[in-house]
Amino acid sequence: MYRYDEFDQEFVESRVAQFRDQVERRLDGRLSETEFRPLRLMNGLYLQLHAYMLRVAVPYGTLRSEQLRMLAHLADTYDKGYGHVTTRQNMQYNWPKLGDVPHMLADLASVEMHAIQTSGNCIRNVTCDPYAGAAGDEIEDPRPMAELIRQWSMLHPEFSFLPRKFKIAVTGAPTHDRAMVRAHDIGIEIVRNAAGETGYHIIVGGGLGRTPVIGQTLRAFLPKADLLPYLEATMRVYNRFGRRDNKYKARIKILVRETGIEDFTRLVEEEFAALEPSDIAVGREELDRIAAYFAPPEYRNDIKAFDLSAQPEGFRKWVDTNVVPHKQNGYAIVNISLKDPERAPGDITAEQMRAVADLADAHSFGEVRTTHQQNMVLAHVRQDHLRALWDELVKAGLEDANINLIGDIICCPGMDFCALATARSIPVAQAIANRFDDHARQQAIGEMQIKISGCINACGHHHVGHVGILGLEKAGVEFYQVTLGGDATQTATIGDKMGAGFSQEELVDGIERIVNFYLDQREQGERFLDTYRRIGTPAFKEALYAKA
Amino acid sequence: MSTLKHKGKGPQAMTANELRSGLNVWMTADYEWSRDYTDALLTEDETVIAKMDAVAKAAERFNEVVGAYFIDTVEGKPTRYRERFRTHGPTYDTAELI
Repeated sequence: MYRYDEFDQEFVESRVAQFRDQVERRLDGRLSETEFRPLRLMNGLYLQLHAYMLRVAVPYGTLRSEQLRMLAHLADTYDKGYGHVTTRQNMQYNWPKLGDVPHMLADLASVEMHAIQTSGNCIRNVTCDPYAGAAGDEIEDPRPMAELIRQWSMLHPEFSFLPRKFKIAVTGAPTHDRAMVRAHDIGIEIVRNAAGETGYHIIVGGGLGRTPVIGQTLRAFLPKADLLPYLEATMRVYNRFGRRDNKYKARIKILVRETGIEDFTRLVEEEFAALEPSDIAVGREELDRIAAYFAPPEYRNDIKAFDLSAQPEGFRKWVDTNVVPHKQNGYAIVNISLKDPERAPGDITAEQMRAVADLADAHSFGEVRTTHQQNMVLAHVRQDHLRALWDELVKAGLEDANINLIGDIICCPGMDFCALATARSIPVAQAIANRFDDHARQQAIGEMQIKISGCINACGHHHVGHVGILGLEKAGVEFYQVTLGGDATQTATIGDKMGAGFSQEELVDGIERIVNFYLDQREQGERFLDTYRRIGTPAFKEALYAKA
Repeated sequence: MSTLKHKGKGPQAMTANELRSGLNVWMTADYEWSRDYTDALLTEDETVIAKMDAVAKAAERFNEVVGAYFIDTVEGKPTRYRERFRTHGPTYDTAELI
């Protein structure tokens, strides 16, 4: 994993000192709220519906165990004993006090972390495939690229005041996109061209929110050396032509749509041609230096075959659902579900964070990933360690076996915490998860992604859920609109809007009806999404609205 | 002072967030701040409303609260759903399970 150099550490510490001074000046009145607000937002501190909220950056969703322990320390010391993993792989705290935030940032800096660029109209935390460096379907580990982009975009003087926030996602596995690259302002896939060279497929103009758009190809194959100059050119075009008169039309997806992809591409290519690449591009030596931090761990080659048949049923179910193949013989990728049906999706207690950190040290080279699906991953676990790991997960209450099943619901904080929300989303997720709590039933249903947003801003990614749920409110009553057929992967699709909204109770019944309809109609090997695509919207809509 | 989509109809209450904790507060009949909405002063008296406005602005200047604004109420409760929600806090909080 990447380690800060002297410059990184000095910079982060200087930002802590700067913010400490700003908070002191705010508390004694030398700074007004109008002056202070942009400063706190630059350090990830929001004022939400009930309290402050601090959003901590987890670059490309990768943590060392001591960093996760520090996040646990923050939860215990300055908050209410838990944190929340977001759909951008970050960690949020719901109840910090203003005077404590500089201490929190200082503690974070001590383990090479911060909360910079987790808010505001800048390039946000780059997100990444959580199986990076471990998946067999990957062309190349995308994390060195993600780190390069992090360094380039951090406090970039040209791109600190963009028309609107800007989100980049990267993957090295274009055939199995686990980073949702087509729903980002820029998505980058590592690809091979006909000559067998690796380079980048640059996708632009995707995004969710009130105007969901699937990104389009900007460059089908970009040589690796051109990455930063090409991103720089793209950002310059956006910065110059992106609308600043209307925040709802300021994202790059609107610029691409209004300009047209052909003309937008021409603008980028012209800017790229006019750039002096040597001013921006990074040399081989620096690329190698960054890549060295992500070198594969020292795998063992003497791991004995693991026999599942003699293991308890609960363990076998968990392996079947939460454990996926690793590119290295004898190893496995372990998904740790943060989807206890009784909890808010993505919430994890300080005690559980410490348990995961200990497990990472014991079984996964001290490394933990957060996922945009609000779970955690131990990426390099010996197969003959799986049982010992599961035993500890059971003790920590982290053994839910529901990854990619109907209980693995993505859900924003909704009206329970968010100042922008129009309806609650957490209780809806809990109600659905409880209705389908039976593991055998979840397994029988198979892969099914439900995504819930508590407002039109779509932090819960509802547009790309197999079942998407949008919470709204009218005359004091919450109701929920449904979309079906969304897809967040390499075959990304915006879901089809159904009709009138449901109350929470009606919604859960409606979802049960479409699940039953799918189970009745599906053909061999079909997922919910496959059956939906084959049969089409009208039949599913009829099932959704059928009267009991 | 922000009204956050409130229409100035019916009895008015004044709300804000404490600067230090960020927690929600409402102005009381003593022109102090309470974290409990049931302590809130609700009034249609224009003279009182003007005083509430002045006190809130002063409290912002003196860095006690941030983002003060009036809310509409009906039958003793905030009219807007969002504001009703602010009076009781989240319906779910993992902290309560720990």
